[in-house]
Amino acid sequence: MARYIGVRLLAMVPLLFAIAVISFAIAVAMEARGSIAGSVCGEGATIECIAQVERQLGLDDPMPIRFLRWIAGAATGDLGTSLTNESVSVASLIADRIGPTLSIVTYSLVIGVAAGMAMGIVSGVRPGGAADRVLSVVSAALIAAPGFVLAMLLSWWLAVQWGWLSPAGYTRPSESITGWIRSITLPAIGLALPTVALVQRQLRSSMTNALQSRYVLAARARGIRRTSLIAEHALPNAMIPTVTAIGFRAAAALGLTFTVEVVFNINGMGTLLITAIQTRNVTVLQGSMLVVGIVVLVVNLLVDISYGLLNPKVRLES
Amino acid sequence: MSDASTATAVSAQQPVRAASARSRFWMRLFRNPLTVTAAVWVTLLVLAWLWPGLLAPHDPYAGDVTLTRTFEGPSWDHWLGTDGQGRDLYSRVVFGARFAVNSILIATVVAVGLGVPVGLFSGWRGGRADRIVMWINDVLFSLPIVLLAMAVIIVLEPSLPSAMLGVGIAMATRFARLTRALTLSEKEELYVDAARITGLSPSTILRRYIAPNLLPSLIVQIAIISGAVILIGATLSFLGIGAKLDDPDWGVMLARARSDFRFEGIWQIVPAGGALVLTVLAFNLLGDGIRDSLGRDAANSSLTVPRKVALPPVVQLHASSAVLSIRDLAVGFPAAGGMVNRVLSDVSLEVFPGETLGVVGESGSGKSMTMLAALGLTPAPGYLSQGSVSFDGREVTFLPEQEWQEIRGRDIGVIFQEPVAALNPALRVGRQMVQSLLVHTDTSRSQARVRAAELLAEVQVPDPERRLDQYPHELSGGMAQRVGIAMALACEPKLLIADEPTTALDVTVQGQILDLLAEVQRRHEMAVILITHDLGVIADAADRVLVMYAGQVVETAPVSTLFSQPRHPYTRALLDTMPQSHRGHGDLPVIAGVVPSAAAWPDGCRFAPRCEFATDRCRTSVPLLEAIGTDRVRCVRHAEFEFGPPVETTA
Repeated sequence: MARYIGVRLLAMVPLLFAIAVISFAIAVAMEARGSIAGSVCGEGATIECIAQVERQLGLDDPMPIRFLRWIAGAATGDLGTSLTNESVSVASLIADRIGPTLSIVTYSLVIGVAAGMAMGIVSGVRPGGAADRVLSVVSAALIAAPGFVLAMLLSWWLAVQWGWLSPAGYTRPSESITGWIRSITLPAIGLALPTVALVQRQLRSSMTNALQSRYVLAARARGIRRTSLIAEHALPNAMIPTVTAIGFRAAAALGLTFTVEVVFNINGMGTLLITAIQTRNVTVLQGSMLVVGIVVLVVNLLVDISYGLLNPKVRLES
Repeated sequence: MSDASTATAVSAQQPVRAASARSRFWMRLFRNPLTVTAAVWVTLLVLAWLWPGLLAPHDPYAGDVTLTRTFEGPSWDHWLGTDGQGRDLYSRVVFGARFAVNSILIATVVAVGLGVPVGLFSGWRGGRADRIVMWINDVLFSLPIVLLAMAVIIVLEPSLPSAMLGVGIAMATRFARLTRALTLSEKEELYVDAARITGLSPSTILRRYIAPNLLPSLIVQIAIISGAVILIGATLSFLGIGAKLDDPDWGVMLARARSDFRFEGIWQIVPAGGALVLTVLAFNLLGDGIRDSLGRDAANSSLTVPRKVALPPVVQLHASSAVLSIRDLAVGFPAAGGMVNRVLSDVSLEVFPGETLGVVGESGSGKSMTMLAALGLTPAPGYLSQGSVSFDGREVTFLPEQEWQEIRGRDIGVIFQEPVAALNPALRVGRQMVQSLLVHTDTSRSQARVRAAELLAEVQVPDPERRLDQYPHELSGGMAQRVGIAMALACEPKLLIADEPTTALDVTVQGQILDLLAEVQRRHEMAVILITHDLGVIADAADRVLVMYAGQVVETAPVSTLFSQPRHPYTRALLDTMPQSHRGHGDLPVIAGVVPSAAAWPDGCRFAPRCEFATDRCRTSVPLLEAIGTDRVRCVRHAEFEFGPPVETTA
């Protein structure tokens, strides 16, 4: 297993490099569209302002030098300072914003995978049965509904009307654990609903296949009990393709957290990125893209590891 | 033959196949009411895209100047109410279709335009180019689509078209994968091969032969991604980096509703949210409908319990000492148009302690189905439609699953063909063995493990302790079959059913396994049902033989009688195919044709179409299983035959 993880880690290196290049290239592309310094300083830009921004970004150096300088800085945690507020470092800005985003994504994955697995197992054990038909309709609806619309509806009833959960804002876990959970529960549910549907669909089909397999028939012929056939024999095999689906969903959920952050007025990575796009704040954009890209890589690594845990063939032959 | 004529002959074969499939496709597609509803909605969407003015009564941009009619609910004037600027929500929703359809068009054109050529190139070239392209593709595929779209938005202007360009690039990875997979498989097809030999250039082959075969899959994929494209477009507009703030785009409308709904109520979300959800749902349903209509049947779980049907009163005649006794068993499978295919009919057999009953017949003759049905394991949607089964003097025909669980594995052991497939790939050998032991015996986990190792040693598995910690894919076929035998024998069953136990194995291992079974049988007075199509195995191991053909028993006899004087022409034909009976030169004789499928069984004798002795009488009258002493034969002409033993070759 250690060897398997080692191979996966090594495979991440070129990906990491690619993400760094892409994040850096964004700034280059923005320059091609017009002077960044000019747009940062606004219309009546003073020469000092432009000179200062250009110095800040090192715009006068050749491209490879700039890339190396940026990447060397990034390696030591220095991503430069925000163009709109010079006193704030990009690293501290991201450190401040990534907590809410990661909390919501993780929480939503836990809810979504748990509920989706329960639904998928019920559906897959008896496909075409009454429970399966109801659950399949539910998941078709959940796949079609954007998470942020569901989040708004939930927020209307659970927060605005009934006051059970917090309708907006984010409470840090350091301030209050219950407050933190109250503040991220609604966004997490909103983000989790499509996950539920995707996991249900995938697990339903792989569970059905697994239950039709030779090894389940053979286990039945040995007198193995139904619960064990489902939980011990079919489920581990059915989870192998499901984990891959969950991995893609985890990456997508990271992108979609941005919407629930907006709905619930939470200052996370999403709002940081969007503001940076709108104000053409290059340093913040570069840094945020890099960090989000790394998070995606880590998610993919975790998926690969759980894939290996479930699938002895992959693990032993790596 | 000239190159050109080969090429036309080759291409002429395809449209025929496509035409008949096409009408069936449309019939299937429109049989599903959900798909039809979805198609109607998509049609409306296209109408709203082409002529929004026809459907919308108001200008979507013109607000109420006096600002008195804002945030209204539905009314006669404004069917879906008004927004914060007094604009008609219904008209805005209708005009929103423009943005939705435009999004799909841009993203699809980009995705297909980029993905298909890349996939074609990668699949056609193969080798290193393929690996590099697919690696890049997989990297892009694993990134969140929203993030890729954002990257494009950053580089270009924040606008819906540039967002959709990003979405298109992200979606292109799916088309590249799909196209590559199809190209790889089409490349191996005969007609492509033929075209390549005739010297057509790769680009011509791609255009003429591969591209048309890709089309159906591409259409399904486009329908499926359309829903996702609309969702992502709405998401980006909602975030303020898609459509402009004034546009009647559904995402923008939702963004406006968001800032207002806590004070103005939930209604503001409904029009745009509803349009969005319904449209995505419609595309998803349409995609599912098209995919299903292209021919994939819904699967059934093997856990479905056999359906009970009204049976003729079971006459209890199981007073014999037989371990397993099957009487007049029939198994039906529901077929199209409310018909039932009876894959087994009138199957009877008995097996006694210490005896080996050989069951022979070609693939498809119903040997394995008989055993599964007898064990209460009839695969769904099949069901027992007639007959009775008794085990050890006990009626078990419709035994509840729970009571069956006690019997299976303890009193009856089953060995399956394809030994590796019969083991769970995700679980260690030891765990599977221990689990079986724990179910039927009163032991602790650690005791069960010791016993599992003993069992493996008994079936001559070297180093059993290490094997317990291995996974099935680490075992050879012979080793896996020994594990299967060890599990089947774990509780010293009264009956062992061995379904082609040696087919997947090489000859040396085959002999060892048979010897092993014979030895265990002697020790425990176990009854054995040995299912095989290999008469050599029967001659070695069986006491009595039952010959099956097309779901029926056609002959039973002691093994010596069967080999010395077969009574049924099918038995004779089987014997003639044995290598031992072959007279040296020329090819080994085979029985012409194959066992027909249950739907195509002839009315008279089921073997008649392949029988060299068949007469008109055989084709019209249904042969019964006639008794000759203790033997049985199902042939109307059996009295006329005097088949000798198969001719022995002198080695």
